[in-house]
Amino acid sequence: MFVNAMGLILADNQRVKLGPLSEPRALSAMPFGGRYRIIDFLLSNMVNSGIKRVGVIALTRYKSLMDHLGTGASWDLDRMNQGLFLLPPYINPMTRSSERSDLSSIIDYIETGSQDYVVITDCNLIMNTLYNDLLDRHIESGADITVMYNRDALEYGLPNISLMLDEEERLYDVLADSHTVSTEFSSINVAVVRKDLLLSVLEESRSRGVTDFTFLRLLEFYKQLEIKGCEHKGKVFRINSMANYFKASMSLFDDDLRHQLFSEVTPIYTKVKNQPPCLVEPGSRVNNVLASDGCIIQGDVENCVLFRGVTVGKGAKLRNSVIFQNTQISNDADLNHVIIDKDSVVKMGVRLLGHPGFPVVIGKGSIV
Amino acid sequence: MAHQDVVALILAGGQGSRLGVLTEFLAKPAVPFGSRYRIIDFPLSNCSNSGIEAVGVLTQYQPLELNSYIGNGHSWDLDRNDGGTYILPPYVSQEGSDWYLGTANAIYQNIPFIDSFSPKHVLILSGDHVYKMDYSQMVRTHTEVGADASIAVIEVPWEETDRFGIMNTDENKRINEFDEKPAHAKSNLASMGVYCFNWSSLRRCLIEDEADPDSKNDFGHNIIPRMLDEGLFLYAYTFEGYWKDVGTVKSLWDTNMDVLDTPEVLDLHDQSWIIYSKNPQRPSHYFGPKAVAERIAISDGAEVHGEVRHSVISVGAKVEVDAVVEDSIIMPGAIVKSGAVLRKCIVGMNTVIGSDVLIAPEISDENDFVNNRLCEAGISVIAQDLVIHDGAQISGNSMIGPGDAVTHPHIVSEMPTRYSY
Repeated sequence: MFVNAMGLILADNQRVKLGPLSEPRALSAMPFGGRYRIIDFLLSNMVNSGIKRVGVIALTRYKSLMDHLGTGASWDLDRMNQGLFLLPPYINPMTRSSERSDLSSIIDYIETGSQDYVVITDCNLIMNTLYNDLLDRHIESGADITVMYNRDALEYGLPNISLMLDEEERLYDVLADSHTVSTEFSSINVAVVRKDLLLSVLEESRSRGVTDFTFLRLLEFYKQLEIKGCEHKGKVFRINSMANYFKASMSLFDDDLRHQLFSEVTPIYTKVKNQPPCLVEPGSRVNNVLASDGCIIQGDVENCVLFRGVTVGKGAKLRNSVIFQNTQISNDADLNHVIIDKDSVVKMGVRLLGHPGFPVVIGKGSIV
Repeated sequence: MAHQDVVALILAGGQGSRLGVLTEFLAKPAVPFGSRYRIIDFPLSNCSNSGIEAVGVLTQYQPLELNSYIGNGHSWDLDRNDGGTYILPPYVSQEGSDWYLGTANAIYQNIPFIDSFSPKHVLILSGDHVYKMDYSQMVRTHTEVGADASIAVIEVPWEETDRFGIMNTDENKRINEFDEKPAHAKSNLASMGVYCFNWSSLRRCLIEDEADPDSKNDFGHNIIPRMLDEGLFLYAYTFEGYWKDVGTVKSLWDTNMDVLDTPEVLDLHDQSWIIYSKNPQRPSHYFGPKAVAERIAISDGAEVHGEVRHSVISVGAKVEVDAVVEDSIIMPGAIVKSGAVLRKCIVGMNTVIGSDVLIAPEISDENDFVNNRLCEAGISVIAQDLVIHDGAQISGNSMIGPGDAVTHPHIVSEMPTRYSY
């Protein structure tokens, strides 16, 4: 595959709030599905499409993202000339303000790439897809920007982008977080744009003093540029609220959906950890459980996602819960509709009951 | 090349003929173990954790799987700029070409490789043992006592001494005699196949041994006795801990079951001595709505919808609904279809066990697959990349390989292609 595109990932969106879970990390570093982080889906989709140069714009909370990405080797992005480029905030003599980072690092990354097109994705998308059709459609149509969309009904009041498309899929209006107008078309924040056009858009923004680059800002150029939509058929989760995150996690027990999301043909890659196999001890029950290496399960677990190294003690009862890495659930604890961040401990006999639409959420490193 | 104090060489060329069909297409060190490992992960991880940065892996028999598994050593943190992992197959030179004729000859042929690091010490390891050992301690002790060679030994039960190479020592652990599989042992210190040599002494002995037309060019049979005859100081370095040779069907099965029954002994959870492996990129493993799992070890990509008890389920393996798997080892990518019942089975990579197949020791009808020479204790072995047809019934102690697809096409057939996991 020879793909004439580089990738650009917007790694964080400060407007999406996932309570204590998003405090320590950028949204794209949010753990998902037992052993992944959201950015694994974004990177793997690009790599599986044949993209070999990917920039990750990480303006805030990027420590956990950097830990996760390393050299990019897990995604085969540790390359001589291409590969992974982490774009943290930086200030150089050319930046307009001496205190604040601007778009210079992004402009520099785009400028030095040899590819003619850029695939841009937002930070909160969980899907398994290839961008090759999108890229082909974009080049054929001659549009300035092509944006992916589907017809999922969006929830009011959450960070979303609704698109107004005419019958030729041409964008004529954009609505963000709309409370009032409902539209048929919902943006999946993935777009293709020509490199030189993106550069001129970014240069113009920089000269106006803009310091951050968001997906919405790109689409707002619809008055000057021709922006077209490209419908996407596969399953997409837009993680923009705690309830959405929880719902997406709980849907992984569906065999078809899980096999689509974690296809063997287009695998989702993630950072290598060296945990021993998961041990399921006698006296435990595991039904509809997605569990990971290093887990030790002795309790009664149903409809749960267990990340790597989670231990579930004897007599503990877990229902409809998501437990992040290395968290310890002690004997006889009773949990239902709970999300617990990594390195936490739930002590013996503790009972935590949430609600499907409003799970109990415990922050990183808590002792309950 | 840059100087390295210690160079390790892993003998990974053996066929492992006692594992029968399991090693028909891959070398013994590449045999899957403990749900997510290959046997060679143990010596490689031990090297990495011991701080050894130059590791040669000597391959010969069916090396494809092993070579692609080891790659550049990245998974064990052994992709170093000066050193790292080297795959060392036999090669052709101006004098002609030779297969590795014995363990000593294999090292002899790689003298230039070892010389290039100008090491003080050379570790000779075998690629088919499951154990965690800090080689740096052994090298330190070897240096402190001033030995020419150190041989790691472990105390074995007296009744089993006839299975091992036994070292007889004086009170200072100086070896004065080597007994290969003695009928009446004088000691119960068995050689673990882990040797530390001063390179200068070993180098000279290898050259002398090579010149001896009567020699079998083997470490145990020739090099060690030669060194003893010369009066060199051979030290017995006592190792205490878990060490298992997985050379037979029974021992491979037993060692896998140890992961389930006594997880604290081998302690794969030990964060200070991680056993690394090449990580597959697979999702978390999944237990379906009707799954039953009791005392099992399971890894990435596996799916359990049926009943699994006291078994090792490897990466990407699947047990379908209503299937029963007990006391078994399901290797990577193997599939057990619905209604099948497996007891005491070792199922090779990617093999498909058809619906309603029954393979268990309690099936008393002797059939053509029974192999009492290699199988014991009712354990059956199904080779990799086979399909066992729906409804087949096979008794314990059976061994089924690709050859059986020709003679028994109604029971077993071969997959069109083999692919590695």
